[in-house]
Amino acid sequence: MMNAASKNTDATGNGNKTCWSCKGPVDAVALFCDTCGAIQAPGQLDHFARFGIARDFNVDIDAIETQYLKQQQALHPDRFATKSAREKALSQQQAASLNDAFETLKNPVSRAVYMLRMAGVEPEGGEGQTVNDPALLMEAMEMREALDDAGDRAQIDAIIRDVRKTARDCENEVATAINGGAYDAARKLTTRLRYLLKMAQEARAKKARLAAA
Amino acid sequence: MAYSEKLLDHYENPRNVGSFDKNESTVGTGLVGAPACGDVMKLQIRVSAEGIIEDAKFKTFGCGSAIASSSLITEWVKGKTIAEAGAIKNSQIAEELALPPVKIHCSILAEDAIKAAISDYNTKNGKAAAEAAE
Repeated sequence: MMNAASKNTDATGNGNKTCWSCKGPVDAVALFCDTCGAIQAPGQLDHFARFGIARDFNVDIDAIETQYLKQQQALHPDRFATKSAREKALSQQQAASLNDAFETLKNPVSRAVYMLRMAGVEPEGGEGQTVNDPALLMEAMEMREALDDAGDRAQIDAIIRDVRKTARDCENEVATAINGGAYDAARKLTTRLRYLLKMAQEARAKKARLAAA
Repeated sequence: MAYSEKLLDHYENPRNVGSFDKNESTVGTGLVGAPACGDVMKLQIRVSAEGIIEDAKFKTFGCGSAIASSSLITEWVKGKTIAEAGAIKNSQIAEELALPPVKIHCSILAEDAIKAAISDYNTKNGKAAAEAAE
């Protein structure tokens, strides 16, 4: 973990802060002080910096998941059973911050929404907001109608394959738009991706219902 | 969370589910979505020469509250003038169905859908949207 932490600083330039316990310098992304070993406060890091990765929509989910699981292990409450109240509290804060970062980055829609907000762009679909983009809604309506009409497993499997491919293509377009700073396009594509993933979820749910029947 | 009986009734026995031919000149179609939940709602009205909504149909893919809201509004708009239908407020729907606060957006979707349907009808028939709002 130390290695990962020092590499992180190089990649993102988060720099150092001061350890609350030994007052020595400690890497901003480090969970523990490498001088005295004390648990550190999570600090104000963005979700990418927390995992020591570049601010890029294309995230290697497997890599951050491995890192996430390892860190959650190091933060397990059992390891802090005999520690001070302050250390217990810090370990819980670290665990919560990591959890938030991982959950946000794991899902392409929440990652896109997060990156849009980082860029100061409010994504579509806030509280009580509706969309009336005809092309988007026609596509959503037609897909949902086709799913409604699908009677057997083979038809549903075909729909799931189709929507997965469409969603993958859409995700790539979101990546290009966000990484390229084309935020207007990214907002619309993110909404479309949301609809496509919702559609995929509904299709899987229908398949499960059919299998259970 | 307890849903009202009216809401459950509209959800379990939705009224006016279906479609009209959207190319007919007497038909207005509204298609709206709530992106936060991936819901999509289609609401159609058939309007008489006198400007009365003779029939209404809907198709909603979404949660129970969205289905109930669209079912209710299709019942309400039948027999109304397009101006009256356009004046229906989401708060009336929310109140009638006793929607919980997290589901208020479903009633907004229904209000937007009827407005979109009216606007489509007006556009098709060469009437200014402002006229319907009067």
